[in-house]
Amino acid sequence: MGEREYLEYYALNRRGVSGWFRMRGYTIERKLYALHRITGILIVLFMLPHFYSTGWHPGIWWDALLGIIVTFHVANGVRLTLLELLGAGIGKPLLVKKPFQRPVSIEGRQRYLLALTVLLFIVLAVIWSYYAVIVKPLMGG
Amino acid sequence: MMEQSSIDLWKPVKVVKLKIYRYNPKKDFSPKWKEYEIEVSRGTTILDALIRIKEEVDPSLSFRYSCGQALCGSCAMMVNGRQMLVCRTRVLEAAHNRDFVELRPLDNFPVIRDLAGDFTSFFEKHRAIKPWIIRRDFEELDNPTGEYKQTIEEYARYYQFTDCLKCGACYSACPTVATDHEYLGPQALAQAYRYMVDSRDDGLDERIAILDSDHGCWRCHFAASCSDVCPKYVDPAQGIQLLKKLIVRRKFGLKPHRPSDALPSKIGEVKRR
Repeated sequence: MGEREYLEYYALNRRGVSGWFRMRGYTIERKLYALHRITGILIVLFMLPHFYSTGWHPGIWWDALLGIIVTFHVANGVRLTLLELLGAGIGKPLLVKKPFQRPVSIEGRQRYLLALTVLLFIVLAVIWSYYAVIVKPLMGG
Repeated sequence: MMEQSSIDLWKPVKVVKLKIYRYNPKKDFSPKWKEYEIEVSRGTTILDALIRIKEEVDPSLSFRYSCGQALCGSCAMMVNGRQMLVCRTRVLEAAHNRDFVELRPLDNFPVIRDLAGDFTSFFEKHRAIKPWIIRRDFEELDNPTGEYKQTIEEYARYYQFTDCLKCGACYSACPTVATDHEYLGPQALAQAYRYMVDSRDDGLDERIAILDSDHGCWRCHFAASCSDVCPKYVDPAQGIQLLKKLIVRRKFGLKPHRPSDALPSKIGEVKRR
């Protein structure tokens, strides 16, 4: 990093990629946002050898891990699609706000959707791991 | 038991260390942290403490403030790593049983000096979404014949978003802004929604052209930090999701949704214009 970049870095005060992972003190939605980014990047990284040879597999345990990454991305992706395109559980704007009112979009019905997403992720991840680690080797890889 | 009087609120109770970010981009090579010890009472806000430091200890300390009562949105800062208005955050509340408070300028805003950030691009983005009522009835505007009336339901659709102070807390907290500096940001998008659902406004398609772009509303993926830190409970995250829903419905040729149709009260009948 040259002197100019160094000076710009502090003067512009931009968070950059570290901004995705500043999660302390924020709500759980932010953690899911960061995980969605990481899993998305990892899936793209897996795609590169996958395009070269579709038969490529990283080994039993990595296979299970890859499945967990994909299932999280899918489950959270379904949640985000429902939230963003249909506004599911996002609530209505308020006409009267109570003192120290918590945001409706965070504390409202959207949280049930979030719980369902986590549940869906766990179920899919367990099924996939069982298949990848136990069933698939028995069937001869 | 002694009864608590309002004078007790101003009795010094603790010595708190304020760790403050000092940086002048025109002079300093890198930022420094400076510590100031200050005696605080239960009612001392962080802004009170900063003003006292500037008056009594270090006149070179720079920060921005104006009204001191959470109405102008000038004094948003990072207090212990979280965006807050310092005029309404008490020192003891922020210290949380510890004896120090860390103050930094807002993330993602260029530093002018010390705790003051540069809001130029933030305000430019706000201006980009045309934050005013757009009308098509030019004849009526030239020769007005009456007021533009609204029902309470129509008012309730956007009232929540009118409380925005433009303090920059949501913009600073947004993880998308951290890497995409062209992104309009939660404040501008929520304000766009506020004008698009206003029953007096005719600029829906004009604004969709601005918002439905590379750095528009589709960059938001509901980290909800904007709503989490908003000091006026404007809930920009809700506004942005409803905005996306509005644009999707418009793209599919459906009637725009009316999020507040189910309000209980109706104040009379309003003549449509």
